[in-house]
Formats: sequence, structure tokens, C-alpha cells
Amino acid sequence: MDLTCLGIEGTAHSFGAAIVSDDGTIHSNIYSMFSPHEGGIHPREASRYHSEIGPELIGKSISTAQIDPSDIDLIAFSRGPGLGPCLRTTATMARTLALTMSIPLVGVNHCVAHIEIGCLESGFHDPVTVYVSGGNTQIIAYAGKRFRTFGETMDIAIGNMLDVLGRSLGMPFPAGPLVEKEALAGSKLQLLPYSVKGMDLSYSGMLTAAQRLWSDGAPLEEVCFSVQETAFGMLAEISERALAHTKKKELLLTGGVARNNRLTEILEGVASRHNVEFHRVSPQLAGDQGAMIAWTGIQQFQSGDSVEIADSHVLPRWRTDEQDITWRA
Amino acid sequence: MRPIELSIGAESTIYKVERWGKEFALKWRHKKPYLHPEIDRQLRTARTTRECRMLNFARLNGITTPTIHAVDLTENTIMMDYIKGEQLKQLVPVISSKRLRSLCFDFGRTLAKLHNSNVVHGDPTTSNFIVDSHDDLWVLDFGLAEWNATAEMKGVDLHLVRRVLETTHWDVQEAMLEATLKGYVSTIGDEAEHILSRMEEIRERGRYH
Repeated sequence: MDLTCLGIEGTAHSFGAAIVSDDGTIHSNIYSMFSPHEGGIHPREASRYHSEIGPELIGKSISTAQIDPSDIDLIAFSRGPGLGPCLRTTATMARTLALTMSIPLVGVNHCVAHIEIGCLESGFHDPVTVYVSGGNTQIIAYAGKRFRTFGETMDIAIGNMLDVLGRSLGMPFPAGPLVEKEALAGSKLQLLPYSVKGMDLSYSGMLTAAQRLWSDGAPLEEVCFSVQETAFGMLAEISERALAHTKKKELLLTGGVARNNRLTEILEGVASRHNVEFHRVSPQLAGDQGAMIAWTGIQQFQSGDSVEIADSHVLPRWRTDEQDITWRA
Repeated sequence: MRPIELSIGAESTIYKVERWGKEFALKWRHKKPYLHPEIDRQLRTARTTRECRMLNFARLNGITTPTIHAVDLTENTIMMDYIKGEQLKQLVPVISSKRLRSLCFDFGRTLAKLHNSNVVHGDPTTSNFIVDSHDDLWVLDFGLAEWNATAEMKGVDLHLVRRVLETTHWDVQEAMLEATLKGYVSTIGDEAEHILSRMEEIRERGRYH
């Protein structure tokens, strides 16, 4: 069966549309990120951005894929978790398209999609996944028809921590890449609170200490360097704990913060110590985009999981382990 | 006998070694070249020291832990009793539900004994509890343990127990949680209600929980 899916992502600041077919070919993957002039992301402003650029990006994903809209068999959309206004805007576009084109609609779990696109790219079958982004920090592995969260942050996500820190340091959003760049010039480590509880971790104490370090006059590169070494060291430890506990043989790094080279280097070291394979999802598939939604939507649809328009309300607090993974053994 | 590698843990590698004609477990927190050397050094030393103290302290409070025979704080190794048995994690899928309940009751009671001595374990997964041939429960891996435990810290410990049941023993998690908490409450005393409500609160704190 030849199946072509339009996937639409819009859970937070990014909006994306992509055309993917059931053999795993990504024909197009167009995305754009809302960045505020100052401060953080306001959900309503981000959703307005989605409604303004969404139709154009969807059109572009179809023209770039060089297909006719009538070639699309299926619409998949990010149903949650995420910011309510953004989810609703995205869902409205998806429903409208599914209704107009009279094709099925599939509601995809955003976190599950990050894992599945990583598996598609790496060829991994059963990894321990380190999912790190602006809104999520989770260690996930598959067991008994669910992706289960073995560990996670007990307060703020790593990407959020880097953005808030960046704001204190006078950096624009998103601050992660700038923190990484500054850290390259640093070499002196300032000790910061290191907080690991089993397979969970916590970043808020470290963030406060780093902000104090900065206001006490520590050089920029030193603050960035120390934050990266400490935050990624904690992440390495809980990844190792999950690998040792689950005995799985693959380690997957995904989510927007997967673009960080120092984090990748550390997790490569972890994988080599545990004799497991490692893959970092490539930059264009690491962040939020539509290809992951389309690819997961295809697998979900093929296992008989689609949703009626009337039942397709968004799920802002949809946990990773609440989605039945019907397409995996 | 040459050291035999038994397992690679999160922080250390465990070997079986022979000394004085007997078998021992050697836990080695070796260097991790991918971490910043200063963070790595501090973690290895702090946790080796902490583990030694905690293993002894827990035993003084009636919890079954391996005896320490030698420590090296330069290499960060601990030589301790080699415990013949199975991880609780490995037993769960293969034993009767009656025996599982009884082991979980014990699991909860052991944790409560530890909490009653104002210590939290820090990583109370079913990988870190060993069941010997007499069905006695041995507690290992005190590297993340902490003194001066508050109700909040005890709540985190219980939260971690629940988490491991959800992820690793999902098919029997309800029965295991019930028996574990029953054992816990039977021993913890007046603080029970307070700690259990903390456990619930902590669970809600996670990003999407």
C-alpha cells in the first residue's frame, strides 16, 4: 500500500508541515519558529503566528514535495502535549483539511513522534531515548505497548533552563546555541548544584546558582561552560542509570537540544562505556517539525488508529506513556 | 582468580574477586573520560565515601547490607560481600503472586526501616534489592543515599519506587505497589500519611504528570 501523509506540527513555538510516504521517505519538511522580540513565549502570540504562517507553510510542503494535494491520503497532527492555544490552532487546520479533502485524520503524541522519527533515521528498534527540548527532559524506553518515562526533570526542562539563563545573560531567544558557543571559550569550572534522584533530575537549583554566579561577576564563558558541564553531566548519569536498568542496546538523542555538540560528545562516551549503539538525530529532524508527525501518523493509521473529527479535541497534558503504541510488537 | 566483570552500572563496574580464599564483590567507580574531570572526581569520591558510611549505618539500623572489607579512595573502589541471589527485578516475572506480595511487603518494610533512621536510599529500584536463597532482602547501591531525610525526601524515595513499578513491572504494578506500601506503612509509624501525600504531590510536579 502506498500511503502519503501530510503531517502538521504546532505544539509550542514552532510550526511545521511535511509530506512523508509509508516507505519512510521525507518528501518535504518545512518549519518555522516564532521568536519573540523580548522575553519568553506567550502561548497566544505563538498561536497567532501559527495561524498566520500555517497555510503558507502547508502549501509550501506540498509544492516542495512535488505532489498534487489529491495525492495526500492522510492528515496527521500534533494533538499534544503542548500549549493549548497553539494546539488548537494546529488542530483546526488539520480538521479543516481532513474534512475538505475527505481523508482520515490521525492525532499524534508529540513526544512519541520525536522517538519514532529518531528510530526511522537511525534504524534503531528499541532504544533508550534521551528527549531534550525547550519543554521536555525525559528518558524514555519501550515496554509493554507503551513508551515509558524512566526518568525526567522534576522541575524545568533543560531547554527552558538554557533559555532562562540566556535571558539573564542578555542573550536573545533561543539561547541554547549561544550558550554553547560561549562555552567553547570557557575552561574554568565553577561548581554548581548537581541534583540527581534515581533516574530523575532537577535543574532549578543549578539555574539559580548560575544566575548568581553571573551577577557576582563571573565571566560569560565561564558561566556557560560550567552550566553545560553540570547540566549535561546530570543527564549523562540518568541515561546511564536507564541503560544499566533496562539493558537496552541503543541510545538515541532527540529533541531540539540534541543539536548541542558537547551533549552529543558526552552521550557518545556513555554509549561507548555501556557498549551500546548511539545516534543523535540530525539537526533538521531534532527540533519540532512535521516529518515526525507524518511518519508516526502513518504507522498509527496502518495499525488502525485514526480519530473522528468530533473526537479530535487537543490534549495539552498528554503524557508520553498514555499513548497505546499499537504499531510496535 | 582474575577479576570477573559482573555488571556495568550507572556509576561503577562490579567485579567478582577472590581474596583470602573467598569471593568478594569489588565496586569500582572508575574515571569517565567524557565528563569534566573535576565533576567526575567529586562524584566518584563523594559517592564512594557516602556508600561506605551508608552501608554500615543501614546495617546498624537492622537493614541487611553487604559488609565492607576494604576501601580505596584513590581508585574509588569498595570491596564488599558478594551476595548470592537474584535482583528483585529479575524475580518479579517468574515467581508466584503470593511470593511477590510477600517480597514487596518486605521491600516496603525495609525502605521504612531506612526512613525511620532518617536516611533515604536515593535510587530504590528493584535492581538494587537482592533476594537470597532464604528470601532475605539485601539492599545495595547507597551512592545516592542521603542523611537527615525530611518527609519531602522520603516522598521522593517512594515516588521513585512507584516510577520503577510503572516502567519495569507495569503488568503487576498495582499489586506490587499495594503490597509495598502496606509493608511501608506497617513500619513507618505516625509519619505515614504525611509522606504518602508528599509522594502524590511530587508525582504531580513532573512536567506532564
